[in-house]
Amino acid sequence: MNTSRKYLVLGQTVAALAVAATFGPAGAQEASIAQLTEPGKEVSIGAGIASGNEKDRARWGMYNGLRKDDLNGLFGFGYNSRDPASGKWMSFEGRNLGLDNRELGYSYRQLGDLKFTVDYDELVRHDPRTINTRLSGAGTTTPTVTLLATPGTGQELNLEQKRKGLTFAFEKMFGGNFQFEASFKNEEKDGSRLYGKGFACSQAWKDVGACTGTTASAVLMLPEPINSTTRQAEAKLSYMGEKLRLTGGYYGSFYTNRNSTLTPTISGGLGNQNGGLNAADAGLSAVLAQSMVLNPDNQAHQLSVAGNYTLTSHTRLNFKYAYTHATQDAAFPVASGLASGRSNLGGEINTTKAQLGFSSHPMSKLHLHGDLAFDSRSNKTPLDLYNGTYVCSPGFINGRNCVTAPGGAVPFPNRLGMYTNGNPSSKKYDAKLEATYRLPQNYMLTGGVKYEHEDFGTWTPTDVAGGVSGLKQKLNETSYRVELRKVVSETFTGAISFNSSRRTGDSPWLQPVNFNVAGGTGVTAVSDAAIYSRTAIFPYIYMDRKRDKFRMNGNWEPMERLSLQAFFDYNEDTYTAPTEHGLRKTKGNNFSLDASYAISDNWKANAYLSRGKQTRDSGHSTGYDAIVTDTADAFGFGITGKPSTRFQVGADLTWLDDNLKYKQTLDASNTSAVNTALINGGGLPDVKYGLLRFKLYGAYALQKSSYIRMDYIYNKSTFNEWTYNFNGTPYLYSDNTTITAKEKQVVNFIGASYVHRFE
Amino acid sequence: MSDAGRHLTRILQGALLALGLALLSQGAIAVGPGPEVCANCHKENVAYFAGSVHGQKGTARGPASAGECSTCHGDGTEHVKASGGRGAGGIKNPGGKSMDPEEKNATCLSCHSGGSKRTHWDGSAHQTRGTACTSCHTMHQPDKVLKKLTQPEVCFTCHKQVRVEVNRTFRHPILEGKVACSDCHNSHGSIGRALMKRDSVVETCYTCHAEKRGPFVHPHDPVTEDCSLCHNPHGTVADSMLKVRPPFLCHQCHTPHGGNVASVRGQPGQAATNIAGKSGVNITQARGCLNCHTAVHGSNNPSTTVPTPQFMLR
Repeated sequence: MNTSRKYLVLGQTVAALAVAATFGPAGAQEASIAQLTEPGKEVSIGAGIASGNEKDRARWGMYNGLRKDDLNGLFGFGYNSRDPASGKWMSFEGRNLGLDNRELGYSYRQLGDLKFTVDYDELVRHDPRTINTRLSGAGTTTPTVTLLATPGTGQELNLEQKRKGLTFAFEKMFGGNFQFEASFKNEEKDGSRLYGKGFACSQAWKDVGACTGTTASAVLMLPEPINSTTRQAEAKLSYMGEKLRLTGGYYGSFYTNRNSTLTPTISGGLGNQNGGLNAADAGLSAVLAQSMVLNPDNQAHQLSVAGNYTLTSHTRLNFKYAYTHATQDAAFPVASGLASGRSNLGGEINTTKAQLGFSSHPMSKLHLHGDLAFDSRSNKTPLDLYNGTYVCSPGFINGRNCVTAPGGAVPFPNRLGMYTNGNPSSKKYDAKLEATYRLPQNYMLTGGVKYEHEDFGTWTPTDVAGGVSGLKQKLNETSYRVELRKVVSETFTGAISFNSSRRTGDSPWLQPVNFNVAGGTGVTAVSDAAIYSRTAIFPYIYMDRKRDKFRMNGNWEPMERLSLQAFFDYNEDTYTAPTEHGLRKTKGNNFSLDASYAISDNWKANAYLSRGKQTRDSGHSTGYDAIVTDTADAFGFGITGKPSTRFQVGADLTWLDDNLKYKQTLDASNTSAVNTALINGGGLPDVKYGLLRFKLYGAYALQKSSYIRMDYIYNKSTFNEWTYNFNGTPYLYSDNTTITAKEKQVVNFIGASYVHRFE
Repeated sequence: MSDAGRHLTRILQGALLALGLALLSQGAIAVGPGPEVCANCHKENVAYFAGSVHGQKGTARGPASAGECSTCHGDGTEHVKASGGRGAGGIKNPGGKSMDPEEKNATCLSCHSGGSKRTHWDGSAHQTRGTACTSCHTMHQPDKVLKKLTQPEVCFTCHKQVRVEVNRTFRHPILEGKVACSDCHNSHGSIGRALMKRDSVVETCYTCHAEKRGPFVHPHDPVTEDCSLCHNPHGTVADSMLKVRPPFLCHQCHTPHGGNVASVRGQPGQAATNIAGKSGVNITQARGCLNCHTAVHGSNNPSTTVPTPQFMLR
């Protein structure tokens, strides 16, 4: 239909609002053929107004640039120049220019020969919560913490993280078979993110001089300054021969932090959540005023070669080798009491990845493919003494540990437990083989097996593992997959598959020595029968795992205009270790039903309905179990249409309802009086998150070269989480800082744009 | 078709392809009717072709300079003689449903097999699951995959769970078109899990979060193993896209402090001891365990001043 091309030139590029999830279930934005294929020069000028205030728009406006201001300019442009005869294309586009997530892009192409692009991109993440505090210097490296007399009466802070990226990319074909690609990206990050610090005094900490008393504690909210630069450079040279296709290249990544430490000043006393002032504890204040080290500068250089080779008419090989040299040698900003004299870590990690695969059709009905892969992480970081711990008299630090301290009791300040950083080197080996056989009626039967071996390396004998009961050096995992797939059909395609894998330890459990010996370092191999008690917790990445996955999907087109799609999956991981506790099981299932219907040539609609449920079951060492369940129901509906040759409309509806349950139950071993809180409090309340979003847009062609576009968005976010507030009772930081968010956030947004197209 | 017939067909196709490539290398020679004929029935498709990359004559490598429509659809002579119709005259339609995915892909790969992005298509999850180039890409209408704003819409056709997750509060700015699936995944194949663009989860995450790379004086092993042990990058309802809220996330690997159960301030029965120090409240609310163990990705602090920072305290 020519009319649509002449009059309804809907400028997706320049006028589409990225402000509220522009795509939806219906894909409600259909660009015209002319707009995307013919040279165009167009400008979009408009404005949008949103209801409510920053707090109403907190969730909706996290990334879309519309949180802060009620009224925003909606500006964009596109300049496209194309010469079909010479194949020279040039484009210059701008999007969201009136917002803080603006984009500019320039592209020049000599088709089949050369391409050059420059892209500028901004993005601001607005923290969805509002901070109320008396903290001064938030976002700097030297904030001052001052007790707010009454919670909620301080200044309000909305933290922002801003990224500004500039990217250059270049591609050039030469010699008929060669292609050169190069790119460079510089990204500046500024702003701050939610961060903090906390400490609890105890008798043990008093004994070693960290605290004046034994009961004071504090948790502080301290925004982390993130001002930094990341640069990435990449260059690749590709060869495309008749049989061999080869790419070799370099990739470098460089991170530079403009700050090194975050050092708060504690001005005056601190409160506590009971409502009064904390007991004066100069030691605690000194601990809280210690410098926190921010992320250090680091660099990585990678050389790689990858490609594929046509071995025979039925068999192809592919391969990759990559070597990465990563370093971190930023000077220590803080090194108090350091015995080694080192001024930086001298961190060096060399990673090697190698892969060889094949794909073959030995018979017309049979397809085989397989892979061998090797991944080595060689940690060349030198070992040195960086940490000190203190061995105490019996009954002090971890009383049980001190009893067995080597050499008997050694009171502060004698330090026995100086220990080092860790530098284990790991290796992984994978092997995979899969076969697919074509059955009658275009059914494909696939069977596959995969074997993985992981060696985490020898534990550094002078390092200390903290907070874990056991480690493992080696793991094996074998996986099997079977699938039946229906392909090539006008009416029905689909697949049903089952994956099963078993992971087992290939070495004994390694017990951290410091678990039983104060100041002890390294690990000791221990049999399953002898390791700890039945309440130990082992990191689940080392536990034996039984994993099963089932998945099925089907696409049915009973008629030309109607398409139906169903999807279901179920997955279950079961973990075992020589304990009754720790992560036991995770399981989940997802179901969705999609429908798409072409009502007429001008009207299309689609919808989906889905439910997903994920559960994690953990047994805690202190005598209670937790089963966390998240059930998410979602519904979407979209429609697009062209009521007339001048008029195009679309609408999307998205509904999401997340329900989380935190079931905690005491087990028989629990006798702690503290856990009466569970009985009295009834356990953690359920948490709900809801989203209802409705979008409506219309575009009307005023004349051949211009149109107007209107957008209406209704966005409602609801939740009842207790992260920072439960039922009106706020979580109080020790300076009475509170963090809040409206539990029901409703935004109505109306945008209007005029788009003019220059012929 | 019998095995032998299919085999013969493949050989012929290969021979034709080789012949076509040889012809392409010598200059443009069209086979079968051109766009002016096809446009009689396929007006919109031909119009789009003419304005698209494929329709530009400025490059010797493109279909417009070679066989035009027949480059992808084969010789349409018999199709025209048969007055059209789906599959009539042996016409090929890589965007249709009656063509084998491998055959569809061979059509595209005859020109697009080179470069650095498709070296590992063979054996990739998409290739072995019967995904065709035309499952995602469209040649005769706007290709949504090529625009960040619309690309996820295509991926969600199969990845249903992700469609829900990107609507959760804590997520990457995918809905706003600032991050696309292809920023992290190479859908054409890689040697990494989940088709990671830089061959591993951690190295892919470091492209935007390089500050987490370290190494650190006090490392946290999962950070170098796999970010997705703790985070779901598509979106969650816990801060920082954590898969589960602390302390439940941390307690999967670490022994909790004392006998505290997770609790929140303001619950019935809260005693003073339950809301101070390492209490159930302080390990549950705000940043949970991270209230104190704040440098959870690793700390580069070698201080021996108590409390020493080896437990990610500072």
